[in-house]
Amino acid sequence: MSTYARRRIANGVVTCLSIGATAFGLLWLVLVLWTLIENGIAAITPGLFSQMTPPPGSAGGLLNAIFGSVAMTLIATLVGTPTGILAGTFLAEYSRGSRFGEVVRFINDILLSAPSIIVGLFVYEVMVVRMGHFSAWAGAMALAIIVIPVVVRTTEDMLNLVPNALREAAAALGSPKWKVIVMVSYRAAIQGMVTGVMLAVARIAGETAPLLFTALNNQFWSTNLNAPMANLPVVIFQFAMSPYADWQVLAWGGALLITFTVLCLNIGARALASWSTFKQ
Amino acid sequence: MSPPQVAARLAMPLVPSNPGVREPELMPRQKALIRNVNFFYDRFQALKNISLPLHDKRVTAFIGPSGCGKSTLLRILNRMYELYPGQRATGEVLVDGENILAPGLDLNLLRAKIGMVFQKPTPFPMSIYDNIAFGIRLYVRLARSELDDRIEAALRRAALWDEVKDKLRQSGLGLSGGQQQRLCIARAVAVEPEILLLDEPASALDPLSTQRIEELIAELKDDYCIAIVTHNMQQAARSSDYTAFMYLGEVIEFDETERIFTHPAQKQTEDYITGRFG
Amino acid sequence: MAADIALVGRSAAQRGRAGAMGDLVFRALTFLFALLVLLILGGVIVALVEGALPALRTFGIAFLFSDVWNPVTEKFGALAPIYGTLVTSAIAMLVGIPVAFGVAVFITEICPIWLKRPLATMIELLAAIPSIIYGIWGLFVFAPFVQQYIQPSLIASLGQIPGFGALFAGPPLGIGVLTAGFILAIMVLPFISSIMRDVFETVPAILKESAYGLGATRSEVVRQIVLPYTRIGVVGGIMLGLGRALGETMAVTFVIGNAHRISVSILQPGTTISASLANEFTEAVGDLYLSSLIALGFILFVITFIVLAIAKLMLLRLQQRAGG
Repeated sequence: MSTYARRRIANGVVTCLSIGATAFGLLWLVLVLWTLIENGIAAITPGLFSQMTPPPGSAGGLLNAIFGSVAMTLIATLVGTPTGILAGTFLAEYSRGSRFGEVVRFINDILLSAPSIIVGLFVYEVMVVRMGHFSAWAGAMALAIIVIPVVVRTTEDMLNLVPNALREAAAALGSPKWKVIVMVSYRAAIQGMVTGVMLAVARIAGETAPLLFTALNNQFWSTNLNAPMANLPVVIFQFAMSPYADWQVLAWGGALLITFTVLCLNIGARALASWSTFKQ
Repeated sequence: MSPPQVAARLAMPLVPSNPGVREPELMPRQKALIRNVNFFYDRFQALKNISLPLHDKRVTAFIGPSGCGKSTLLRILNRMYELYPGQRATGEVLVDGENILAPGLDLNLLRAKIGMVFQKPTPFPMSIYDNIAFGIRLYVRLARSELDDRIEAALRRAALWDEVKDKLRQSGLGLSGGQQQRLCIARAVAVEPEILLLDEPASALDPLSTQRIEELIAELKDDYCIAIVTHNMQQAARSSDYTAFMYLGEVIEFDETERIFTHPAQKQTEDYITGRFG
Repeated sequence: MAADIALVGRSAAQRGRAGAMGDLVFRALTFLFALLVLLILGGVIVALVEGALPALRTFGIAFLFSDVWNPVTEKFGALAPIYGTLVTSAIAMLVGIPVAFGVAVFITEICPIWLKRPLATMIELLAAIPSIIYGIWGLFVFAPFVQQYIQPSLIASLGQIPGFGALFAGPPLGIGVLTAGFILAIMVLPFISSIMRDVFETVPAILKESAYGLGATRSEVVRQIVLPYTRIGVVGGIMLGLGRALGETMAVTFVIGNAHRISVSILQPGTTISASLANEFTEAVGDLYLSSLIALGFILFVITFIVLAIAKLMLLRLQQRAGG
């Protein structure tokens, strides 16, 4: 066989393998989503949103879990977002070339990919043990610690995209630096920063491990943030691992809810990002 | 300038017939004096012993090939370099007798009085109204009607009012390039500066917009001391009263624009003007 | 200063001073929160060490090498979870890296332009799906499938090879190390692929064009131009995926079988550090039990920290080389 023919075959093989790999990856996406919808759709009833988690054998819903998840996600976002934005602002605007800035950036990226169960352990040691009990506050703090590195990263990246000329123009009018940042840089980067927050929320909406030993779970309806609180991921964990069929159906329903929310946030964030670059 | 243009320029009387005596109003007052200024980017010396005056109600142009330091010099006048570590200046720049390079000077207040327009139009991501109001609001609290008046005055000065008066609430980013640059000029004059620094204000614009900017500069010089950096020699010849030719960080020649373009004293100046290099 | 006031008038000068104060406050504020990031990491280390100390003091270094896990006699050893963590991650890498590479090559080199964005988004959705979803899908859908079709055929084919076949021995249970590793592969491949894609895009177009201009085929350009140019970044991306795989909890917990033992066969159940934590932490009675679990967490933290730090350093080096 000539060298050229061999090269063409090698090229064909690589091309086929690449297409195959992509198809392989997409296949699993489709499979997972398909079975999720197939199994979960049965559980999507009005009752899901109006009743509490039941004991095995009786009908019920996920209302307390939905509430708990929403509440803790909200608190985590409210705590983590300003923290992340301010830290990211420091990295982008004040730390040009400084050692401290490099170290913070490095550590932040490690926290970004750190196992979330470690975060749960940390908050357990620091909050649950000291407070003497599990609580929604602890759960929210664990989620906030996961939000912060995401927001820091996106804030820093977005602020770095703001052209220096804009900052100089504001400074040339006599604006103090903090006004340049807050009134000009933030405004210029706002869309990217919102995208970052959306992605952070999408991330914590599905996190289970950090809640396992912080917020724990709660069978009943509770709005007491100082006590264990039900939440979708832990309920899904408990119900799915159980041998009870009706619990398992509820687990699939909860899984579908979470996935739907997460995918909407993700796709929404991407749409926002590409719309804003399109506008420019 | 081509010989016919030089001839045409020579034919126009700019200086009164008796050169020894000048009418008091025509005598240009010195607004700023740059004295023995050196500038360094870390170790690299970008400006060497610059000394030249800036006259009030006149346009002074800095010309020269790329890298000669003209923008660097301009940016010393509002201490823009202070935004970046590793850049420093020595020497004095006296504005109305006060040295603005003195340490301890409040830079924000300085920059409110010495305005700058950049090469690329930089409208803020806000409405046209807020763009102009931004600088004003930094230092004074005005009643709504007063603010409206100031903004209208600034936009009129920049010859932009008629085009935007119905869309003040729209984003500044929606304007054309030429309009955005006039917006930046309006923004700069709205804070009532005493000196205006223009860093190649028309180089990013199409010829028509460039012409309008030049007309604008001719009007603005009645009220401000203007320093303009340009790589377009014809623009310098058309628009300015004084010209400084710079090369490799030094001022090779500074004189009335007339003389620079018709009888340059230095050979380097002549070579640059006639296009032998740069 | 006199010059300031002469220039701008009294009230403006006051505003100017207020602005300077605002600058100090704002800068201090942002600095504090940046410091907080460091403090969080420091806090994690301190908290884990504090919690793990009793167990580490009781068992010493032998903790790392003992596979005993007996809550009753209070004898604990980390070997089984560590082994499980490493093996599942290894399987995830073996399957995930080639697939991620294929996806990255397809998207950057082969795919038509209009398909790039949507395809990339779809692959990234794989990463967006929460871990617990993979967990229940794995338990109810994938594991039975593996039990019915994959495992028996593996046992019948590769399991028959002498020596090597021991890897595929045992009854087909569906759940186990292999299943967990495979699901991990699906979960980490979008991360690795996304970094590979970013890194492949940094190759200057003129470099590739000069190779194509000489008549090189696509596979040759990829193998001989793109890969060598981006080698460091590719390895960095792989390490990042590994860091994710090591720490993954919920998906693994559902399908690994939670057996504290080490078996040669990857068809058997086992456990990982994160799975042990997820399953046993809330039920753990006794300080030593709890402390042993936290010690496991600490070990996981150390392993992932090292892997992620190496990944980050490699990606930084690539950035520097690219002149970024």
